[in-house]
Amino acid sequence: MRRGKFRIKDCWLPRWAAAMLRPYVVGCAICLVVMVVARAQEPASTSRSVWDGVYTEEQATRGEEIYRKECASCHGDTLAGGGGAAPLTGGAFLSNWNGLTVGDLFDRIRKTMPQGSLGKLTKQQDADVLAYLLSFNKFPVGKTELKKQVEFLKEIRFEATKPATK
Amino acid sequence: MITGRVGRLKGLLLIGCVIACLGLPAMSVAQWKAKDTEWASYAADLAGTRYRPLEQINAANFNELEIAWRIKTDNFGNRPEYKLEGTPLMVGGVLYATAGSRRAAIAVDAATGELLWVHGEHEGTRGGAAPRQLSGRGLAYWSDGKDARILYVTPGYQLICLDAKTGVRVAAFGNKGAIDLKQDDDQEILPDLTTGEIGIQSAPVVAKNTIIIGAAFREGMTPKSMRNNKGYVRGFDVRTGKRLWIFHTIPKKGEFGYDTWLNGSAEYTGNTGVWSQVTVDEELGLVYLPVESPTNDFYGGHRAGNNLFGEALVCVDLRTGERKWHFQLVHHPLWDMDISSAPILADITVDGKAVKAVALPTKQGFLYVFDRVTGKPVWPIEEKQVEVGTVPGEWYSPTQPIPSKPPAYSRNGVLESDLIDFTPELRERGKAIASKYHLGPVFTPPTESKVEGPLGTLTVGTASGGTNWPGGSYDPETHTVYTFACTACAEPIGLVRAPKTVSDMNYIAGTAGEEVTILRGPGENAGADSPMPPKKRSAGGGYVALNVDGLPLLKPPYGTISAINLDKGEIVWQVAHGETPDVVRNHAALKGMNIPRTGQETYNIGTLVTKTLVIAGDGQITTTSEHPRGAMLRAYDKKSGKEVGAVYMPAPQSGSPMTYMVNGKQYIVVAVSGGAYSGEYIAFSLPAE
Repeated sequence: MRRGKFRIKDCWLPRWAAAMLRPYVVGCAICLVVMVVARAQEPASTSRSVWDGVYTEEQATRGEEIYRKECASCHGDTLAGGGGAAPLTGGAFLSNWNGLTVGDLFDRIRKTMPQGSLGKLTKQQDADVLAYLLSFNKFPVGKTELKKQVEFLKEIRFEATKPATK
Repeated sequence: MITGRVGRLKGLLLIGCVIACLGLPAMSVAQWKAKDTEWASYAADLAGTRYRPLEQINAANFNELEIAWRIKTDNFGNRPEYKLEGTPLMVGGVLYATAGSRRAAIAVDAATGELLWVHGEHEGTRGGAAPRQLSGRGLAYWSDGKDARILYVTPGYQLICLDAKTGVRVAAFGNKGAIDLKQDDDQEILPDLTTGEIGIQSAPVVAKNTIIIGAAFREGMTPKSMRNNKGYVRGFDVRTGKRLWIFHTIPKKGEFGYDTWLNGSAEYTGNTGVWSQVTVDEELGLVYLPVESPTNDFYGGHRAGNNLFGEALVCVDLRTGERKWHFQLVHHPLWDMDISSAPILADITVDGKAVKAVALPTKQGFLYVFDRVTGKPVWPIEEKQVEVGTVPGEWYSPTQPIPSKPPAYSRNGVLESDLIDFTPELRERGKAIASKYHLGPVFTPPTESKVEGPLGTLTVGTASGGTNWPGGSYDPETHTVYTFACTACAEPIGLVRAPKTVSDMNYIAGTAGEEVTILRGPGENAGADSPMPPKKRSAGGGYVALNVDGLPLLKPPYGTISAINLDKGEIVWQVAHGETPDVVRNHAALKGMNIPRTGQETYNIGTLVTKTLVIAGDGQITTTSEHPRGAMLRAYDKKSGKEVGAVYMPAPQSGSPMTYMVNGKQYIVVAVSGGAYSGEYIAFSLPAE
């Protein structure tokens, strides 16, 4: 239950040396913790978020067509879900994916959708649907398309609210 | 001769002796009873209480809970599942559950989570065509003290009987351990046994050696036809699998209630199953069946009349399945209210008199309470005039029964006063959206959807809202029902003329200006045996989003837990359940406002009650300064409703929590899933020291 404390006393060092080292060790530990936390919050590779214009208008239009054919019968024309199908817009949707990446959402779509005809859509089609979801949820449009490789999509952070600096 | 006779007599005596000797121990062991520390059926016991008198985990230490073990369900099927709704059982140190897109039955060590056995049925096309796929809600345990069996129903509607020790099918039961539930059902399941629409996702119950199985269908808002298979209820012998009885939820010609279906509509109307949990009073030998809506959910023009036993609570004899009494909660159902929750058995004291009661939480937010022997309401339930609608061809009941007590514990109608009111501006925008709909109190009927308005009736506490399949809990010490309710799950119900190519019904659910299509529910074509059928949909316009800048259209609370005392018929406390959603906490229009916890719009929250606590998890992900992205499992003091602790979960609660003791340690197990997080059972316990 109690967390173990780092105790220099238990080391082989003479007491005076340990006393001298203690501030450094503690300082280093804090340093490490800060670095780890900082990394966890903002991995160096994911510098982009959904607020950076990560899809194009044209891609979203393609995605809408696919959405209407393949997704709307469960998730609804307004993406509101219903009858247990998850909403793809609104507060519950945004908070559900907040803090993850576009790639995580892409993964989920690839693994389970469309329900009942799994594997029917290509990666490109899924990326297009994703572009439509972003557009419907009013994330800004940009000049480059969403890529269809999950490793790229995992570098785009999904943030529910617009960062203050942008 | 004489000797021969004596001999024969002796022989008979000997046989009698053997029977007696065999019979005696069998009879004594037949009294096997689950311990208080075990959780032997889906809702803890056959009374549907979700209660265990345990107190090792309490208000003082709830925050110290840590994950004792966890089991991902991804590999119990050929694809992961994101909708894990099960509540496991725990008997004799072993935890049993259904899991994964295969709906596998699994057994794990209840102290460590180590997998002991797994059983899955590969049903091919039959499983893939099933209306209710994925892992389901759970299974049933039976023992005579010697034999121990696990029973569950596959997506393809087969009743499977397994040896609880090995997970191997019990050969002596049915056909090598399985019963084809599509057969011997007093009807021909159409179009054929493989694709015929019928199944079930709830857990079977076993009472006094009788297994009771209901039926479920696909979502009933947009059926292709007014004709459908019927959801009868059957009892089976747990030793042999032999069918013991059947109850016709839609009466056959000559049976009681047939005349509540005008123009012979009982012949072809379907659905009307019992898809929620069944409750049994073993002592009285009575079974309580919560019956769902007939075909279709929102339009009854092809089934004029009150439609017994649609949306009725029916009490039948455990031995024969014969009806003892019934009470129809909704005449001529038009709102998809179903009866979605397990009936709860409660021995209460009303005005100084002991009453053996049955209480029923519902989507419509009424807790109906009856004398469970006679079926008489404990407090008057009066027939009151309700609005009669104008949909062509519809038949309306002029009155509906409305309980005088307890008061509704959840919002069950939408009036202007129910709309968002954080600021005057938001309220105006909410009113503008609502103006496109017909509003009214509980039992306001659906309208035909028109582009110029109304698009439909705006409802809450109909298809969604109130208490859904997880049902409530009951504390036998304080005679209190605890139940979650979604108080802001708004549901627009509009009807559109169905093109003959889509449905042979005059009207199905839809919105004017939109293409009319068949709506599908989650779990349909989603399981491991599912094929890949093509379907079409094209663009339209006319739908209105029921939110204002992402904020719910209805004002808080969005979700609540209520404590309702059954001796008095009063709400003792009510709290908003679930963290305030991110969209509300972070909304620009609400900056600087002090908004009390709102709870969450979600319909799948089940509660657990212990010696001191009511426990339930959040149904949505939030990210706050107190916890990272995740959901909290919360504990409330059961007397006051005060939150006394919360522990972090990586995903929302998707199946109701349960609890048990093993080796002197109390565990709480809960199913979590949703969004990016695939199904997982998580077991919490206190740290060793």
